[in-house]
Amino acid sequence: MIKRIPALVLSGALTLSLAACGSNNTATEGNGGSKPSGEKKVVKILHWKQGNVNAAMEEINKAFEAKYPEYKVEYTTTGPDDEYKQAQRARITANDVDILADLSGMRLSPKDWTPGAKVPDWQQWIDSGLIADLSDQEFVKKWNANDIEKAGTYNDKVYAIPTGKVAMSGLFYNKQIFEDNGLKVPTTWTEFLKLCEDLKAKGITPIGVAGKDVWPLKLPVFALQAKILGGGDQQKWIEGVWKGETAFNDAEAVEVLEKMKTLQDNYMIDGFMGIDYASAPSIFATGKVAMLADGSWDAPTIATANPDLKFGYFPVPATEDAAKNASFVGKYDVTWYAAEKGPNKEGALKWLEFFSEPENYTKYVKAAGFIPTQDNISTESEFIDNELTPYLGDFELAYEIMMINRQNVGEHLAAEGVHTEYLAPGGEFKTAKELADVQQKEWEAAAPK
Amino acid sequence: MYPFGKGFNRYVPLLLLLIPFLLYVIFYFGPSVLTVIYSFTDVKNIPGSPVNFVGLDNYYDVFFSGNSGERWRSITNTLIFMVVVTVVQNGVALFIAVLINQRLRGDNFYRAVFFMPVVLGVAVVSLIWGMMFDPLSGPVNMLYEWLFGYKDMFFASFTHAFGYIIFVQIWMYMGYSMLIFLSGLQSVPKDLYEAGYIDGTTKWQSFRHITFPLIASSFTVNMLLSIIGAMSTFDIILATTDGRFNTRTMAYDVYKETFRGSLEMGLPSALSVVQFLMILVFVIVAVKQMRKREVEY
Repeated sequence: MIKRIPALVLSGALTLSLAACGSNNTATEGNGGSKPSGEKKVVKILHWKQGNVNAAMEEINKAFEAKYPEYKVEYTTTGPDDEYKQAQRARITANDVDILADLSGMRLSPKDWTPGAKVPDWQQWIDSGLIADLSDQEFVKKWNANDIEKAGTYNDKVYAIPTGKVAMSGLFYNKQIFEDNGLKVPTTWTEFLKLCEDLKAKGITPIGVAGKDVWPLKLPVFALQAKILGGGDQQKWIEGVWKGETAFNDAEAVEVLEKMKTLQDNYMIDGFMGIDYASAPSIFATGKVAMLADGSWDAPTIATANPDLKFGYFPVPATEDAAKNASFVGKYDVTWYAAEKGPNKEGALKWLEFFSEPENYTKYVKAAGFIPTQDNISTESEFIDNELTPYLGDFELAYEIMMINRQNVGEHLAAEGVHTEYLAPGGEFKTAKELADVQQKEWEAAAPK
Repeated sequence: MYPFGKGFNRYVPLLLLLIPFLLYVIFYFGPSVLTVIYSFTDVKNIPGSPVNFVGLDNYYDVFFSGNSGERWRSITNTLIFMVVVTVVQNGVALFIAVLINQRLRGDNFYRAVFFMPVVLGVAVVSLIWGMMFDPLSGPVNMLYEWLFGYKDMFFASFTHAFGYIIFVQIWMYMGYSMLIFLSGLQSVPKDLYEAGYIDGTTKWQSFRHITFPLIASSFTVNMLLSIIGAMSTFDIILATTDGRFNTRTMAYDVYKETFRGSLEMGLPSALSVVQFLMILVFVIVAVKQMRKREVEY
């Protein structure tokens, strides 16, 4: 028996190595790894898989190689989200990448009113000197100065190029269904509920959403948060919760949860918590629901799922003030960083310069379906011109982009969301207030020691 | 007298042993010890960043910070998972192994069928059950509705998802335990049963007093494998619910904090040390208990 214990200790130790290997993990999946050909200098680009964007990127890379024959682009893609995040960390810390994409513009950097807040990855990379300073590069001037300021600047220096914006707070709607039933796009909360009632009365399910992945539930909530919190000044409310002036269970925050609960309880498709994100577009495209809560980036997917479908996109009307409701909330999408210590920094800058040429960028942004972050770009997209542009006047960043979380905050507030999936009937909270009270308690419990 | 020769030759075996020993230290033992050390530091996943000792801060964060409610639930979930999986999986596996051992017609076929899920792998298994348990169009929900007039959300239900994961885990690894039991059963000498038969034992008595003590060593192996396996399971959770809907376990938390959380490596290291200690305690207790029962006739 005694002899066995060391053996057990050792075999148990195997389970420990799971965490240990995280520090030098190298997840290099995808189509990279090809040998540099001849004398060419390789530019390594890391990105995630997203069919339409990848195709445009390959085209741009080919054009780049044609124009500058001394370079060869090694374009590696991984699965999205977590898999990408993992690859990103491994490659940047191993200095094995020249250009890498980030899922959003620079965000969540701690402020003086956020004591103890977590420093985001990108900021730690910059502080450790892993990201190249782009401030003096000529090509930065080709981009909209406001967008660069908002999504690519840190400590008054430019470190990133945000390649487009997306709207997140809207609902796709089936124009055919709306037309057949004499319905029109609602501009106030009351009109919106009336519309949902009318649809229900006709036996049509009003709203589809991919609840199983949970995050899609955040999208309509972004609209409610942006227009309701702080009386429409989200930033003020967010600073307020840190300073103790506002709270997760104050009237405005409860109203946000309450309104989402109304939608979840009455107007969303039965079993929406079981729908996964990949199958949501087809539920909408086949006319099973009249509206779909999803981000504007999914328009190409919906169009592919049913090419004959006529659909539009409107912001969830959060309040009774039609003028206030009439704008989208969203975020910056794919954002490029150049690695300071990568194998080929000079090539990375050359590539970014090439990418910033309006004709190359136009190709990219058209394929991606983003709202351009360069001025005077014509996307020739009906969807962007007719459905998004009218609501872009006061484009605001979404709650998840602005909200700086406390470290180790509880699950009802984790991942910069308010998690309406915890509301009944799926979750345990019967009323919005109950959930809000727990959130405030968790927020206070996570206060820095 | 000198089985390995004289002079330098004497040291050759030691040198040869050194290679696997070094490999073991570098790839298994070293990282494990490092993990324990990391758990007392604020080490980050950035090369060259400063490392400071922070004492028990990481352990404090595990048990007493803003989200430790969830950590405690992960621990409870891990224990539930371990107990239910170990008991049910081995119970069912033993039952089926005994049945198959009766020299049924086509026992090879049954053996293959029950073992198949192990071969399929976690990704395929979770895909299969993801489709079976599809809340909108899955066959299981149709059956539920037809039998009980009730529909379930399965992997998207806060209350039931964890139960379904336990079910899938047992379904998947039951064949593995069964195979070990089966090999144990087949090594029981037949003459013992004959002797028992002459003494007039009932079927139950011969199982209780002949079979069971003699397969006690398979029992020990199976219990240990299920305890360790269940306590360190995260893959099936990752593939079915991704930790949503109250289905997180400690192993899942370790994975999540390490690969998807912040760049901090201290907290996940502390978590895995806690997990390791839990596994160690259970395994030692289980081994002590079960060793007592093993006999050889």
